[in-house]
Amino acid sequence: MSRFSLSDRAFDRVNFIFVLLVTLIIIYPLIFVISASISDPHAVNSGEMWLWPVDITLDGFNRVFQNDAIWIGYRNTIVYTATGVLIHLFILLPSAYALSRKELMAKKVFLWFILFTMLFNGGLIPTYLVVKSLGMVNTMWAIVVPGVIGAWSVLVARTFFQQTIPDQLVEASKIDGASDFYLFVRVVLPLSMPIIAVMALFHAVALWNQYFNALIYLSDEKLFPLQLILRQILILNEVSADSAATAAGAAQSFSDQIKTASLVKYAVIIVSALPLLIVYPFLQRFFVKGVLIGSVKE
Amino acid sequence: MAVEQAVGHKGHSKILKSLQRNWQLYIFLLPAVVYFFIFHYIPMYGIQIAFKDYFANLGMFGSPWVGFEHFERFFDSYYFERLLKNTIILNAYNLLLFPLPIIFALSLNELKNGAFKKWSQTLTYAPHFISVVVVVGMLVAFLDPNTGLVNHVVRLLGMEPIPFLTSPDWFRHIFVWSGQWQSLGWGTIIYLAALAGVNPELHEAAKVDGATRFQRIIHINIPSILPTIIILFILNIGNFMQIGFEKVLLMQNNLNSETSDIIQTFVYETGLLQGQYSFAAAIGLFESLINIVLLITVNQIARKVSNNSLW
Amino acid sequence: MKSKSLWSMLLLIVAAVLTLSACQSDKADSDPSSGKDDPKASKANKTGMPIVDESLDLEIFANKPAQNEDNDWNDILVWNHYRDMTNVNVKWDLVSPDALDEKRNLALGSGDLPDAFFLSSIPNTDLLRYGKQGVFLPLNDLIEEYAPNLTKIMEEDPSIKKAITFPDGNIYSMPSLIEKDFLSLRLSARPWVNEAWLKEVGMDIPETTGEFYEYLKAVKELDPAGDGKTIPYGGTVIQELIQWLSGSFGVMNRGPSNSANIDVDPKDESKVRFYATTDEYKEMLTYIHKLYDEKLIDQSIFSIEWGQFLANASNNLYGSMIFYDPIELFGEEIGGQYNSMAALEGPDGQQSYNKISSPVWVTDNLVLTSDNPNPAATVRWMDHFYSDEGAKLYYMGVEGETFEEKDGEIKYMDHILNPEGDMTFEQALVKQLTWLGSINGIIKSDYFQGGESAPQSMAAAEKIEPMVAEEIWPRFTFTEEENKVLQSAGEDIAKYVEEMRDKFITGDEDLSEWDKYVETIESMNFEEVVKVYQQAYDRYRGE
Repeated sequence: MSRFSLSDRAFDRVNFIFVLLVTLIIIYPLIFVISASISDPHAVNSGEMWLWPVDITLDGFNRVFQNDAIWIGYRNTIVYTATGVLIHLFILLPSAYALSRKELMAKKVFLWFILFTMLFNGGLIPTYLVVKSLGMVNTMWAIVVPGVIGAWSVLVARTFFQQTIPDQLVEASKIDGASDFYLFVRVVLPLSMPIIAVMALFHAVALWNQYFNALIYLSDEKLFPLQLILRQILILNEVSADSAATAAGAAQSFSDQIKTASLVKYAVIIVSALPLLIVYPFLQRFFVKGVLIGSVKE
Repeated sequence: MAVEQAVGHKGHSKILKSLQRNWQLYIFLLPAVVYFFIFHYIPMYGIQIAFKDYFANLGMFGSPWVGFEHFERFFDSYYFERLLKNTIILNAYNLLLFPLPIIFALSLNELKNGAFKKWSQTLTYAPHFISVVVVVGMLVAFLDPNTGLVNHVVRLLGMEPIPFLTSPDWFRHIFVWSGQWQSLGWGTIIYLAALAGVNPELHEAAKVDGATRFQRIIHINIPSILPTIIILFILNIGNFMQIGFEKVLLMQNNLNSETSDIIQTFVYETGLLQGQYSFAAAIGLFESLINIVLLITVNQIARKVSNNSLW
Repeated sequence: MKSKSLWSMLLLIVAAVLTLSACQSDKADSDPSSGKDDPKASKANKTGMPIVDESLDLEIFANKPAQNEDNDWNDILVWNHYRDMTNVNVKWDLVSPDALDEKRNLALGSGDLPDAFFLSSIPNTDLLRYGKQGVFLPLNDLIEEYAPNLTKIMEEDPSIKKAITFPDGNIYSMPSLIEKDFLSLRLSARPWVNEAWLKEVGMDIPETTGEFYEYLKAVKELDPAGDGKTIPYGGTVIQELIQWLSGSFGVMNRGPSNSANIDVDPKDESKVRFYATTDEYKEMLTYIHKLYDEKLIDQSIFSIEWGQFLANASNNLYGSMIFYDPIELFGEEIGGQYNSMAALEGPDGQQSYNKISSPVWVTDNLVLTSDNPNPAATVRWMDHFYSDEGAKLYYMGVEGETFEEKDGEIKYMDHILNPEGDMTFEQALVKQLTWLGSINGIIKSDYFQGGESAPQSMAAAEKIEPMVAEEIWPRFTFTEEENKVLQSAGEDIAKYVEEMRDKFITGDEDLSEWDKYVETIESMNFEEVVKVYQQAYDRYRGE
């Protein structure tokens, strides 16, 4: 017996160190970004700053707070995310619940109807045409509605309902004369907090971080979400020599903006990622239950 | 229930009865069906332009048929082989790292210290919440030949700075491992959940038989979560060919395009940047077909071998 | 049986969707037709202002350059003034350059057309493609009738008309032009050398490729910036260096406008030459590779951000560079150290300056679509900018609002030249004018006051002038058949050449692989592509 516990203790040590190492590797870039955001850009660029902040300055954050475009983007992203998540839940939960009920006829057909969309899509132009014909181009709905639910989330949520809502419960309520609607709102939803939290968070993360739809569907700068603004600040710097952007007149104001960009780079990363990073630990306790039951036990 | 059984033999009236009883369920289903129909099925009629020369003013239906012309052009193109190769290698590389979250989850599961476990989970989940735009922005900052942290280290080691982001040799590693950095922690969630469901009695019994911790992991934990692993593996295959297109696009430049040129970025380039819609649609269709074949094959194999499958 | 309910439900949805889209298309259809068939609406006054008696609404899709980020063209002095003058009320649909190609192609691909496209980077292949489809309007007659200013310019310089006429004889766009003699603007970014460092290493301004190399090497050794931070040559993109050096090695002898590595055969002026496989080109790459290999070129030039470049420049790290006016951009203290270079004499005695844009800056300043309610008025609206008055309005603004005239000289007013606070000249400028980054109509040196007309830049232009290539081609136009070749083989070859060029320079690909490189190109339907360019050139020469 003691022989095993000895090797077990060694195992524990090694395992602990392994997990610690992985954790450190994963959080190091984040610590770097945090430190860089309050360090003198000079120290960051020269490599002097590598872990803790050097020559602490809040200049980057000040500039972020002064930048209107970032704030407008921020507000838009919040609005899009909140609206999108609400619609997402509103469509997802009832349909997944219906699909989980064995009384539903032609369930297989409905399921395949939804599953099939995982395999095939019509491509960008046809989708764009649909969005356009619904009058959504250059409105927030183009960001919120296309992709509001996916086949995957329907399947996951459906499995969750199958696992957690006992048939007896449904039948008992029905015998008591409850309608499906009443049952769903009063009985099913209160039992489904884990899946609601998980689905809401998944969708919120996707909406918060997407930029491609915005790039395609929005042209009014006042509607741009944060990620588009970030893309301009962080990545987009390919100004080709013969593009009209640099011709005719020196590129002064443009260059000023880019200079600002290198200052605010890290601060803006933090400001943009913070809300999600703050929210998710609170939802974390739901994950295990929600994800497990939802996705695996078929 | 009794009522339902009673009318069971009369098919037609059963349907009516059921509809009458459960109409609210169909109402529940309606928004989702409408959504999928409008945003997924209606656009599918666009697939036909892969076989046409699409003119906007003639519309999808009015444009003239050209058969497989666009496909032939793609297959004959100088870049066809390279695109296919890059797409497959990049995805295969990514798939190769599939076991990492499993290993990490098994490790986390063995931790005795609950607080540390919680902290480690919370911290390693964090990168998942960072957008691709920001991740690529961070890569640009970290890997810059002059000012990037990594190259400062490289210089300290007495080597020449490496132009990571413009090197075709580095592109795949950077792409895949930065992806792993983002998803490793998050990827453990499902496995941890599955591990939490492992019957403790199995472990007790094994302990009595004198099995070490390591043996118990191999013989109890892994087999218990195998169904989960298989399902997730199939889902991953389902996403084969379409990983991280936005990220590739953001990371791509002239110098690394030898390895970073993948089918999806090519579709974007020809379709959206050059306006060759039909050609782009043909390539996209080709890609979807590969995907479907892969998914069905893997699903069949999984069903035969392990009795676990998506359908 | 089971699926019956499903099908009836689907049918219901189909019906609903169809009605919905029918409603939508009804709406879309009714708008332009009411304008188009109404003879009154398409009336435009042939001379004088306003252009239309009854106010005309136009929706124009436009690229909004980064410099203009903070203004709104729908409410800005220059366009408000022009609206009041013409009675044409333009609703600008402004698109940022990062998504310009995507948005334009989506508009064209979905048939969701504006009334016109303004400086939207429409390539010549698309002008023809959509022109043939009837999406873009042929403008020949309209220009003749309603564009006296452009017609006059084209009569004076027939090459402009050639540049915008397609092989089928149609003109689908009105161009944006730079006055031919305004060389400084046509040069855009030009080469500069750090004169203070020249003195330190005891050299004169380099005049040959050999001297340039010696200078870079000397600067590298001297390391005036300290800590090995000195960058002998830096720029924002490698192309500029290549275009500048092309004249020293005898390639790209007709300028950079046709980005397909085509120039004229020096042995036979009637033939085009694909120069990216010539020995001269190889020699040039060998030279640039040597510079790169010896770290005389910024090692991050292939990925450098503008911000980084400007930061380096203001830390005074560059021994030489190709860029815009240094004093305007980096201030007197650092910018003042730079002097301009002309073309370098190459190893075989070649010395020509080829990095110049054609007077036809872009072909597609304004393109009219089939949705346009009043093409005649739209053409007249554009034509004004080819006149002196129009150029003055667009580039100088309104007298008493943005500029003043003193002793026959015009000058921006003080609130633009010396703005309050830490605003720059350009930030003040974009509050009232929109020309930064968007060349509209014609730029004339008399009515232009920007970086390119600053003293340092003008001096550079003067130095370069005697070495300017004898002829600079505009972008060629092609037939539909030719377009097909260019879109497939042409694109493949251009992409391959560009990739390999960068690799040869960095050494990722050894120059001993040159023969393989040439073979690969020749296997890519190469002859067809050259033939297409030969045909285009023959047409351009008018034979």
